[in-house]
Amino acid sequence: MTSTTRRNVAIVGSAQTDLRTAWSDRQHVDLISEAVSRALLGTGLRIEDVDFVIDSGSDFLDGRSISNCGFLGAMGAHHKEESRVEEDGLWAALYAATKIAAGSASVGLVIAYSKSSESDPSQYWTSLTEPFTQRPVGLDDVAAAGLFAQRYLASSGISADDLRAVTRKAWAAASANAATDASLDDLTDEFWSEEVATPLRRSDFSRTADGAVAVVLAGTAAARQIGGDPVWVTGFGSAIDQHFIAARELDAFPAAAAAARQAYRIAGLPDASSLDLVEVSATSTVGELMVLEALGLANKGRAIDLYADGAGAGINQSGGALPSDVVMASGLLRLHEIASQLSGRSDRPAGDARTGLAHGVGGLGMQNHCVLTLETA
Amino acid sequence: MTSIAIVGTGQTAHARRRLDVSQAGLAREAAVAALADAGLTMDDIDSVVVASGPAMFGAVNQPEKWLVDALGARFKPVVRITSGGGTGLAGALAAMNQIKGGFAKRVLVVAYDKLSEGALQASISTLYDPFWGREFAVGIMGFSAAYWRARMDRLGHTEEAAAMVSVKNRKNAMLNPNAHVKKEVTVEEVLASKPLCWPIKVLDVPPISDGACAVVLAAEGDAESITSTPAWIRGMAYYCEADNAANRSMLQSEPLKIAAARVYRSAGVTNPHRQFDVAEVQEPYTCFELSYYEGLGLCREGGAAEYIASGATQMTGELPVNPSGGCMGANPIGATALIRLAEAAMQVTGKAGAYQVPGAELALVQAGGGWANLRGVAVVGSTKD
Repeated sequence: MTSTTRRNVAIVGSAQTDLRTAWSDRQHVDLISEAVSRALLGTGLRIEDVDFVIDSGSDFLDGRSISNCGFLGAMGAHHKEESRVEEDGLWAALYAATKIAAGSASVGLVIAYSKSSESDPSQYWTSLTEPFTQRPVGLDDVAAAGLFAQRYLASSGISADDLRAVTRKAWAAASANAATDASLDDLTDEFWSEEVATPLRRSDFSRTADGAVAVVLAGTAAARQIGGDPVWVTGFGSAIDQHFIAARELDAFPAAAAAARQAYRIAGLPDASSLDLVEVSATSTVGELMVLEALGLANKGRAIDLYADGAGAGINQSGGALPSDVVMASGLLRLHEIASQLSGRSDRPAGDARTGLAHGVGGLGMQNHCVLTLETA
Repeated sequence: MTSIAIVGTGQTAHARRRLDVSQAGLAREAAVAALADAGLTMDDIDSVVVASGPAMFGAVNQPEKWLVDALGARFKPVVRITSGGGTGLAGALAAMNQIKGGFAKRVLVVAYDKLSEGALQASISTLYDPFWGREFAVGIMGFSAAYWRARMDRLGHTEEAAAMVSVKNRKNAMLNPNAHVKKEVTVEEVLASKPLCWPIKVLDVPPISDGACAVVLAAEGDAESITSTPAWIRGMAYYCEADNAANRSMLQSEPLKIAAARVYRSAGVTNPHRQFDVAEVQEPYTCFELSYYEGLGLCREGGAAEYIASGATQMTGELPVNPSGGCMGANPIGATALIRLAEAAMQVTGKAGAYQVPGAELALVQAGGGWANLRGVAVVGSTKD
């Protein structure tokens, strides 16, 4: 595979709605159109200048078949090429990046959203199970996370109590992030102690939130014309593990490692050491640790060290996915976070940071992984 | 720009109910067939794109994740594209961009639906807006009947003309080994068949099927090393229109016209009726095939009834449409669009067997879905340009 993507696809705009546990006074279309119109702001682009739309959302969470059809107007997709990637929005960004790198189009809009407060997210997760052997035994994402955690804690030698550092760092960062309603101060004793899937407690699981995010990608010529500080997509990778939990490694995410290897190879990066900013997705604290190890940011079993005081400064400055997990959109939110920091659009200044990585995840027990690497001039 | 070719195709034996396989087994059957046709194994495949109908049809959320084990796709990129009934073509389009964009060299596209496992029209009814659309929506049929009724008055798409589509496609399906509905009908029988949602009658409607299709895509340079008969994709596009667009026409499909114009431009097609040797279109009801004739520019607007009556689209006509039998032979919705693409590839490479259009070199493919607001077009040829 050649590195044809290097510096031929840029992120020229991005925006998110606030992430709230329940946006009860807003409909899907309201959230989507807010993210889309704000993403275009400052780019000089009108919706007419967008060649195509790739979107992520879930029929199961939306309670609608082909739910993209209901939101085409809000997405600004009318009379454009449009496709639904029914996976986290980072895969939609990957699709858009390949389409622009291919020379098939020059400006693409990527959208991801969910409003899981309108449904029961636990049913979203259980419906991911295969119907013959998994579903009848009541396997769900929570149980899967518990199985992974048992093995991970055993092999890494850390304790369930140690995981609280992961939660604390995530929620502290999210408390400082004006775009989420997560607050460290609101966390109750029950949150920290309720056993959900031993050894994991309520505090170890991501908290679902409602929200939408939009990212505008452009080819070289369009990006130069738009000006500003384009953030170049330098690499992309994706890999999936097997569905059956028993067939997987339980204390590591080799699929995340494979996705990172592909992205690093395309980007010409020897490893993760040159990355300034990293945003990863996870549905549990142990999941987050395993992702960081798979990306090469920590040795196996040692990612917890990144949560010691003063360590892991460039990782999940937004708080990551644990405090505000917008199912189907958390990975694209990570991309928005990195891109807006690198381009100076974020209220979290990037300082000298020039490079970044966004990671997205999907599936039962974090089966599927996607990685995009970014760089600014 | 790099040309992309179809280097292998495979289909399952389609059936009303495939009780012998799971969804994963069904998808695997098509993938194995496509890989065998290409002379490749999964080790040669960099990336997999799964396409299937709305996940509620089969009651498994994000079913591509379940399919990974059966497809042998562990540690490869696997993503699912879902864009209504035309999703197979939308999946192939994503795969083409993966190759052209430097993400993958060879991509396996697998499209399937196992409609025997879900409540089809009930699932389709959830398409409509829960606040203002669902009370009066009944599946997709009421909506389609209203479309047809309007075209009947304004464009002359009569019940007789639509019946001719049914007669033609069901006759063609007789020779397709993968079709599972094989019964010839007459225009009179179609007209006399039971109305489901007038003017749509039982014999205007394709079957509900279990089935899968897979294709392997590769770029020029590589494609010729895999097969001596690559089918070159000369253009492909998949456009939409928003349901709430105030000027949405009930008569001609705007996204179909946009997609056709774009694909014809890239494929150098200026006179589709003359230039195409064969066409494969996705007709969820007979009335849609009439509409596509006009939207694809095969005949003038309002000329579809005359066009089908002329015999032009029969196997013996100037431009055979759906020599495979189209949806009337089998309609596993999520796979149907990819089946049309695979059939077109088979035609231009001389592999269509008993229903081969002699000497076919340039094929037209149409697909679509949603509430008739998602429309895709592709052109497949025996040569790159």
